[in-house]
Parts: sequence; C-alpha cells; structure tokens
Amino acid sequence: MPKTLFAKLQSEDLERGLLARVGAKDRQALEELYLGYHRRLARFLSRFTQSYENVEEIINDTFMVVWQAAPQFRHDSQVSTWIIGIAYRTALKSLRRLKRHTSAVDPEDLPEPSVNPGHDAELQDWVARALQGLSEEQRLTLELAYHLGHSMEEIAAITGAPIGTVKARMYHARERLRQYLPALGGGEAGTPSRSE
Amino acid sequence: MRELQSQPEHRDITDLMPWYLNGTLGERDRQKVESHVVECEMCRGELAQERRIHRAVTVEAAVEYIPAASLKRLQAQLDALGDDGIDTPATRTRAPFRGWYAAAASVAVVAAVAASMYYKGWIVFGSEVGARRYHTVTTSRPQAPGEVIRAVFSPTITLIELQAILDEAQLRIVSGPTEAGVYSLAPNSSRPVSSSLALLRRHAAVRFAESIEPAQESDNSPPKR
Repeated sequence: MPKTLFAKLQSEDLERGLLARVGAKDRQALEELYLGYHRRLARFLSRFTQSYENVEEIINDTFMVVWQAAPQFRHDSQVSTWIIGIAYRTALKSLRRLKRHTSAVDPEDLPEPSVNPGHDAELQDWVARALQGLSEEQRLTLELAYHLGHSMEEIAAITGAPIGTVKARMYHARERLRQYLPALGGGEAGTPSRSE
Repeated sequence: MRELQSQPEHRDITDLMPWYLNGTLGERDRQKVESHVVECEMCRGELAQERRIHRAVTVEAAVEYIPAASLKRLQAQLDALGDDGIDTPATRTRAPFRGWYAAAASVAVVAAVAASMYYKGWIVFGSEVGARRYHTVTTSRPQAPGEVIRAVFSPTITLIELQAILDEAQLRIVSGPTEAGVYSLAPNSSRPVSSSLALLRRHAAVRFAESIEPAQESDNSPPKR
C-alpha cells in the first residue's frame, strides 16, 4: 500500500489534488503528501547533516510551510518543484544557522576514506569529504541534479537562480569532486588533490 | 575539465552533461550532446568521467528513515495551530530549530535534549497516550524506561500499520527513532517478551527486532528460579 501510494504521488494531477485539499486544511491530504515526500527529502537532506533530528526538523518545517502556504500555491509550477523549493530554502537557512552555532567541519577532520573508493560506503566517504569544501548552494545544486534528478529548469525554479548560475554552481561542484575523487576523475587513486 | 571550459563549443556540452546523465535534458539538447561526443574525443572522455562522478554521488545511504514518528510530531505542531493556520504562542514555543540552534550554549543543550525527548512522548500509543513523560539530561541513561525490545521498521510503514503491529505484540514505543531508525519498545501487558518478539518478527515490515538485556525484562517476566 505505501509503495502504491508513493507511485501515485508521482502523478502531478494527484499531487495537485492533494495540495488543493491541504489548502482547504485537510490533514489527511497533508499526511499523504508528507509520506510521499519524506523518503526522498530525508535522503537528500541527510547528505548535509548527520543528525536525524536536524533532517526531521527541516522536513517538518518544510511541511509546516506547505500547510500554511498551500492556498497560495500558483499552478504555474509543479507541486514537486514547489515543495522541494521550500525544502531547499529551509535547508539553506538551517545549514547556515547550524554553521554559526557549531564550528565549521574541516575536511581534514573527516575520517580518511579508503584508498580504493570501490565500495559504496567508501564512495560515500569520498563524496562527503569532497562536498565539505563547497558552498551550500553548490552542494544543494549538485544533490538536486544528481540525487533527486531535477532538470536545469527545475533547479533554477527551486533555487530562484538563473540557469547560468545553476550551471556555474554545478560546474564548481563537479570540479571539486574531480579533485577529491581522482580515481573516478581519471587520476591516480589515494591522493586527493588539495589544490584549488 | 577546466581546459574544456575555456573553449565555448566544449563548455556548452560539458555544462549539459549532468542533466544528460540524469535524463532530464530536452530532446534538442540531448541530441546536441550526443552528436558532439561522437565527434569529440575529449568530451567523450569527459562524459565517461562525469558518469563515474554521477554514480559516486548517487550511491544510496545505508540509513533508512522512518516517517511515522516525524509525522506524529508534525501533527502535534499542527494541533497547536488555530484552524486559520495562524501561529499561536503555543506553536512558537515549539518552533522548529529553536532548541537545536541554541545548542551551542550548554544550557540550551539541556533544553533541546529535554524537548527532543518530550517530543518522542508523542509517539506513545494506546493506554500511554496523554501520559507524558519528562526527561532531563541528568536522567538520561542508555536504555529508555521499560525498554525490552529494539526494532527497526520498514521506511514505508504507515502509522496505521505500525500501530496494528504494536497493538498485536502489546508493545508501545518509548523512544526513537535513533539516527539508525531504531525504536525502543516497552510492554503494554504482562505478555512475555519472547512472545512479543516472535509476533514482531512475523511481520515483513519489521526489519529488525531484538530483545535487550534480561535485567530489563525482569519487571515484565515471571520470576526466574
């Protein structure tokens, strides 16, 4: 049943119907929308904070905004773009605030990844290490494209940035990954480049 | 990649590669990339490298998230809103992040942890509903009060399914989920822990279930000779 529900949520029509009901203060509709988005939002956000509570807070904050702003939803955008856009702004705000209250993580402090990033867990270590050096906007753009599979135009709408900026953020993120993932980027494994 | 970026005809193509790989390029741009890489060896190599980067980034995390507890908390926040959706003072005191962002200060850490544990109280079902438990940092301990079983549920389980499983096993959630998605469960009756555990394990939606230290079971199990 949950998978069927999630599959149905892929339908824009259904999502619009749900959002209209949310706008009419239908809690059941909000719950359905929430359950349909929770997994992808949680996986997306968990790349930026290791704390389950922070991920949960960002998701719940996003849906508090969805609950309150649903009547103002303009039908000129997709529901998913609108919701992910709210999550993006919420995440950006929370990450910046967290950064102010906690000491910045030095990539050098992260666990040293394996020499051969052949396994999934090791790849994740490498990616986490590489992403630390990027701005939140660059990281979020990369994740929106590669993890959530959004188009250029959707990312521009979600982030409120011009297409050229989206491309530039993506370029910096990819360039950074190349430097930190030498075995993947064509260089020799084991000695991530530090040059910027 | 930098070399290619300095040449406009290649830069246009490499800029499109992420969206070529995630399958969202329009037909015209897709054909533009494909026809270019057929002719251009440098960009073909670039695309192969980008494909490896794409794979590295899209590796799924091993941790599963369970939405049921988070949803319960959201519902509690919504309960504090008026019908018109206006933020009330009661809601503002529960405003997201407040505790976490103040976590830099030690006093606020106490408040945040206490608030977090208080929120977990909302995921108590059955006879425990309304019986709020308050915790402070000084009372924190490795096991939740009454905890006899630790379990991980399927990430797609619904609240209704979760409650049905817990009712059947005569258990209630006393804390969780942890970052790894683990819930702590306590008994709602004198049913032996082993029986509750067997019932949990029958369900496909229960990914993991284990009893914890026997000392915790002694309150709920017949005295051992």
